[in-house]
Amino acid sequence: MIAGTVPTSRQILRNRRRHPRDRRSLLLTALVWLGVAYFLLPLLWLAIASTKDNADLFTTFGFAFGDEFNFFNNIVDLLEFRDGAFWRWTGNTILYAGASAVGATALATAAGYAFAKFEFPGRRFIFSAILGSIMIPATALALPTYLVFSSLGMVNTPWAIIIPSIVSPFGVYLMRVYAEDSVPNSLIEAARIDGASEVRIFFSIGVRLMVPGMVTVFLFSLVGVWNNFFLPLIMLSSSDLYPLTVGLAQLQALSTGGGGSTAVFSTVITGSFISIVPLVVAFLFLQRYWESGLADGSTKE
Amino acid sequence: MRTTTAMKLGATAAVAALALTACTAPADDISNADFETAMSTPTTISMWAWAPGIENQVAMFEEAYPAIDVVLENVGQGGDHYTKVRTALEAGTGAPDVIQLEYQYVPSFVLTESLLDLAPYGANDVADQFTPWTWSQVTNGDAVYAIPQDAGPMGNLYREDILAAAGITEAPVTWDDYAVAAEAVRNQTGSYITALSGNDAGSFLGLVWAAGAAPFSYDGVETISVDLTGPATQEVIDYWQDLIDRDLVSTDPSFTDGWYQGLANGTLAGWLTAAWGPAFLQGTAADTTGLWRAAPLPTFDADNPIAGNWGGSTLAALSATEHPIVAAELAKFINTDPEATLKFATEQFLFPTRTEVLTSPEFAEQESEFYGGQRVNEIFAEISATVDTEFQWLPFQDFVAASFVDTLGKAISEKGDLSAGLAAWQDAIVTYATEQGFTVQ
Repeated sequence: MIAGTVPTSRQILRNRRRHPRDRRSLLLTALVWLGVAYFLLPLLWLAIASTKDNADLFTTFGFAFGDEFNFFNNIVDLLEFRDGAFWRWTGNTILYAGASAVGATALATAAGYAFAKFEFPGRRFIFSAILGSIMIPATALALPTYLVFSSLGMVNTPWAIIIPSIVSPFGVYLMRVYAEDSVPNSLIEAARIDGASEVRIFFSIGVRLMVPGMVTVFLFSLVGVWNNFFLPLIMLSSSDLYPLTVGLAQLQALSTGGGGSTAVFSTVITGSFISIVPLVVAFLFLQRYWESGLADGSTKE
Repeated sequence: MRTTTAMKLGATAAVAALALTACTAPADDISNADFETAMSTPTTISMWAWAPGIENQVAMFEEAYPAIDVVLENVGQGGDHYTKVRTALEAGTGAPDVIQLEYQYVPSFVLTESLLDLAPYGANDVADQFTPWTWSQVTNGDAVYAIPQDAGPMGNLYREDILAAAGITEAPVTWDDYAVAAEAVRNQTGSYITALSGNDAGSFLGLVWAAGAAPFSYDGVETISVDLTGPATQEVIDYWQDLIDRDLVSTDPSFTDGWYQGLANGTLAGWLTAAWGPAFLQGTAADTTGLWRAAPLPTFDADNPIAGNWGGSTLAALSATEHPIVAAELAKFINTDPEATLKFATEQFLFPTRTEVLTSPEFAEQESEFYGGQRVNEIFAEISATVDTEFQWLPFQDFVAASFVDTLGKAISEKGDLSAGLAAWQDAIVTYATEQGFTVQ
């Protein structure tokens, strides 16, 4: 280091790398562990609770296993509920979330690329409008969306869930930022000089360089639609079309005191646990694309 | 906001209806020929209901009338269900023909003229099959707005072992006995004999009902009366105020984690609940099998016991239906067919409203291991016979239940002044009714 000059952040980072002990910060470590606990404890509770029957749920400590291991009994109860309605709901959720995530990723990638790489009249205005719509919570839009779909005659169909979920303003924003950084203008220029069409440049160069960003958008919309409760609740009236969220809420309602009510807490909890397993798997599987993408961005010069 | 607008519309419609009914002759009864034709014409009708396993009864109906196809939907339970029904009725399309309807919401659908009067469809012919109080809940004069499906006459479920440990070996017969038992249980075992919960108007109104009070009335048009501060209700309030002041009952909210834990681990030694309670409790406190017993609700007058009701449903046909004969028959068949109603009672745990089922050996003589081999159904069947027939509901029971939580319910939860809470509840209801354009007597 040269005396008298202010070290750049990069130099500081390099210094720290040379002295691993310096990197430790008790406060940060504690905060990270707090964060881990905050996110993982509910999951742990859910996993443990799904092995209990109702009696154990109310008599044993939440983070300790119950007197009996009832996980498989709970699963049997869950699958037998209304002749396998749980499978149907799972299938619906996979369909809605999968189709919406693929559609949202495609749309956001194309739009983000266009905003990043093309000059066209109204670009700033349209982009500002998209940015602005991020600020409007989806819940506030659910009712107007219902009215629109009602007049189109599409309520109580899968389209009523999939089409609104394909539009992802946040995805467009993310892909614009990502496309700007990851697709070099020089590369596009070179391809143009070689005579490639804009469509071909987008699919052969743009899309390939944007894969990590696309995975991010895909995961965000997958999780968003998978967990969406309000939109399917108002759009769908046929229980055969319910996704897991609304279906599990209906199952839970059986435990509301009233005529014919039965306590099905253990069944609902097991259903909730199983319903998040595919999401965890999707994250673990797609994580490597994600991580490599983030790292790519940071080392590029 | 939505309810307010709906209520205003409803009130206006009710006034208009008053003018109309003066010049409209009552519909003639449906002839046998019309009935035969309707029931043998291929027809599809839809029913929205959440009663578990009701597809069994629908299948029996379709077997009896092969030309009819019933599309059964479960669009939610309670509030969600009514919201969807009302939305569909307002939209003018997509409404079902028959709906499940809890007793306390019948008047609110009568107000908006959404229910088909089943009297011309032979409903009065089945009146004597039902326990009188359930029938009085669904009728207004000659009009029949729904067919009773299940009920929740209230009784007392208690831990025999805990009461015995406190020296109480007989189920308390009067409320005075119950207070003595509450004191003994609190002092000698540390448990509370029960919880009076401030988060549920239904159970509290059940206790009011059991005291012989009928605080609400509705004439089916636009006149209501609200008398929550009358002597019978006040007696209930004074009784519980005393127990709360002496810390002899818990005021934990019901159907919450802590409450379930209390019932499962014995810190709550009893639950004053409806006839659907025994099966429900069995599902949450399985470790205490054999320790529970059922008994009638304590009473103020041992010579003349009165019971109350909490919960239960009916089936009603909507007036917008294009197939009134089929819709009326569906509601009637499911709730009067001997086989269908017995199956409800013995396999789907719906507490019956038909006297034939209430006294049938298959139902009444069931012995329950959870209750130490007691014939729990028989006990509740006897209670059902004593439920007061005078009790009515207001046509905006949603608001009544919600304002309970803010007024009397709050006073209960905070162990405060229950009489003041009751007065505040009365005021809130009267103010709301006046704003909505009802005539309050």
